[in-house]
Amino acid sequence: MSTLTLALKDGLVAPWTEWERRCTQGRRLLEAGTYALTEGAIAAGCRVFAGYPITPATDIAEYMSKRLPQVGGYYVQCEDELAGMHACAGASLGGLKAMTATSGPGYTLMHDAYGWSITNEIPLVVVDAMRVGPISGITGAPGQGEFYIARYASHGGNFETIVLSPSSVQEAFWLTIDAFNLAERFRTPVTILTDQVISDMWEDLFIPADYDGLDFVIPRKHNLMMPFFPVGSADLDVPPNVIGHGTGVCVSAYTHTEEGYDIEEMEAQWAQTYRLVNKIRHHRDELTRYETLGLEDAEVVAVAYGANARTVKTGVLEARRRGVKAGFVRLITLWPFPDELFERDTRYVVCELNYDGQLVREVMRSAPSKNTVHFMGKSAELHTVGEVVAGLEGVAKSGRIPELPYIWTEVR
Amino acid sequence: MPLFKTEKIAPRGPAGRWDVVIGEEMCKACGFCLNVCPVDVFAYRTATNKLGWFPMYVAHEANCIGCMLCYQICPDFCIDVAVKNGAQN
Amino acid sequence: MNKLAAKYLRPSQIPTKACHGCGIGMIENWLLQAIDELGLKQEDVIFGTGIGCVGRQTFATWGGDNFGATHGRALAVATGLKLAQPDKKYLIVVGDGDAASIGTSHLIHAARRNLGVVVICEDNMGYESTGGQFSPTTPAGYVTNSSPYGMVEPPFDPCDVVKAAGATFVAETTATQWHQTVKIVKKALANDGFSFVHVRFPCNENFGAYALGTRDTLKNLEWIYEHTQGRKADGTETDFTWETGIKHDASNSRPEFSKIMRDMNARVRADAEAKAAKPADKGHADAPAGRDGGHAKH
Repeated sequence: MSTLTLALKDGLVAPWTEWERRCTQGRRLLEAGTYALTEGAIAAGCRVFAGYPITPATDIAEYMSKRLPQVGGYYVQCEDELAGMHACAGASLGGLKAMTATSGPGYTLMHDAYGWSITNEIPLVVVDAMRVGPISGITGAPGQGEFYIARYASHGGNFETIVLSPSSVQEAFWLTIDAFNLAERFRTPVTILTDQVISDMWEDLFIPADYDGLDFVIPRKHNLMMPFFPVGSADLDVPPNVIGHGTGVCVSAYTHTEEGYDIEEMEAQWAQTYRLVNKIRHHRDELTRYETLGLEDAEVVAVAYGANARTVKTGVLEARRRGVKAGFVRLITLWPFPDELFERDTRYVVCELNYDGQLVREVMRSAPSKNTVHFMGKSAELHTVGEVVAGLEGVAKSGRIPELPYIWTEVR
Repeated sequence: MPLFKTEKIAPRGPAGRWDVVIGEEMCKACGFCLNVCPVDVFAYRTATNKLGWFPMYVAHEANCIGCMLCYQICPDFCIDVAVKNGAQN
Repeated sequence: MNKLAAKYLRPSQIPTKACHGCGIGMIENWLLQAIDELGLKQEDVIFGTGIGCVGRQTFATWGGDNFGATHGRALAVATGLKLAQPDKKYLIVVGDGDAASIGTSHLIHAARRNLGVVVICEDNMGYESTGGQFSPTTPAGYVTNSSPYGMVEPPFDPCDVVKAAGATFVAETTATQWHQTVKIVKKALANDGFSFVHVRFPCNENFGAYALGTRDTLKNLEWIYEHTQGRKADGTETDFTWETGIKHDASNSRPEFSKIMRDMNARVRADAEAKAAKPADKGHADAPAGRDGGHAKH
């Protein structure tokens, strides 16, 4: 199989390919995804975790309760997820990098605080370790039902969000540092969507020896002067505001002026929306992260992200071995959605861990024709290699996915 | 003792030694100062301010005895009462 | 504007959005007096507000750093902010809805943790910003916009709630007790712990109109005065009386939340240094800075 992998052009576009090259000193461990997410946060400078235990993210809380006091940080076990994310926002406003981790039921409780953080441009990292639906579903099984919720993580519209998803324990480590960096640069909360598999599985993990020497970690800077909110501008890398340095900054969820106090005028609405949307849209190239395989001559492309991308990739390789010209796209940045990955006029098979079809709708929207986009939805278990192969072969040879038990193919 | 005094007493004691200032453009004409004042200092203007209220103004500053009740009760930060320069407290 | 307002407030936000005769501005004037008498500068104090009349009419009036949290969550934000900026004085100015209804959970836990903030719960006995619906502090039987047949739910006193949760300073005043409020707020600020000051004040537009039958500012403030004294102008007893004054003062008697956290960190660091100084024993090799050798719990 390795000969085949080398023969196909495999591309991983992500900043950590460079980071891995530069970090030569460190330790190799056998660890869980939650451990990697925690250590990645500590390495990125996170000094506050405020949250509430929930499977499968509980281990992050426990690790944080142990690690943060060791590095002079604070673990706050809040009374609920609502308080947790608000406390993280408060800590970040005070100048400390902060993170919280939850699962679906907690993520929905965080929407009020998420919106507050978006509109006040507060850097934060939120891990949502998805479980399978509907709703609270099965606590200990993987799902991908919060794809759209993570994009629309609060009410009111008029904002963009940044959402990333790792698909291995090692990637979870680097991606968490990346998430903190993006949070600082874009002054926004960043969601890391993982699932029960990524959170709980144990894999090979390399951790750099010296966190202080990681020059690719963007440190917290303070914005000490007006404008606190450069409304009407899409500038990147504006330092975050800080409460406690006597700058006179005002922070609230209402449409606000450059100083931060609320104002009820359409012009202000436009200017603030311009900033919140375009600071992300105009800098999409800073957010490109994905993995591809064999796209040059692919007659059918499998699309996935997160945990099930692992088995899907193996399925792609197996299909190739059987003569199907299969390609593979693994999304790492989920939002802003990478439309450009689906410009190829070919057939797509979107494999996601839900039955209602979420990622597949975005692919249908982005692809040249939605009729060439096929859906293989599954819940509670990863797609098996056999299912992926059957789907790819079916689409390549007869243009449709065969009947497979517990695989949902309808998108309405 | 009632909160509001419709019957005003005659100025006495430290009367006449106080500067009373009202920010008329900020006044919302609640009437608290006029009614809590034990002596006769305040009155309503006959023209509205920019907010649309008939504001209070200092009609008889010399009557002020410096009790500071108006300062404490104004809900809009309009009033300042201070000892006149040179006057004894 | 008066001298203290000129010293501490944000000129673009004065005059405030409050209705005429509303008690919010009065109380804020007393807060400024307390701040000034304690010699605090604008950069020493952080205001945190919420949603509703008290939250929105107070928000941004303070000239220094301030935040207007989502409804009910000012204390949750303050919990994180206090860790990052422990040396500031915090005035969390919220209404009865914000503190005693939607935000009660955070109120209780902030009191339990002894978070070092002063909560000024300005209580106009209803959700007046949305038109005058009843709240958990509306007196029993009173008619409001959402209790047209009279409030049938029993109210509670948030002072009792925070005292039971462990607040180290609890006091109550009303909008006709300016001197007491200034003195009490000064004491509350002197407590390095959770202070709760509950101030009842009049609303003319809604509570006054629907529960008391009048929008007359003088009559409504007199209603507050009567229920503070326990006696009406004609000498008869009021239907209830508020017990005002300091209800519980255990100021500085137990450690403040952020101090507890800092002390724990110092202890962990000291233990780690002591362990590192000991001769190396051939124990289980650890990941950076000592994770337990065992499996994580599930």
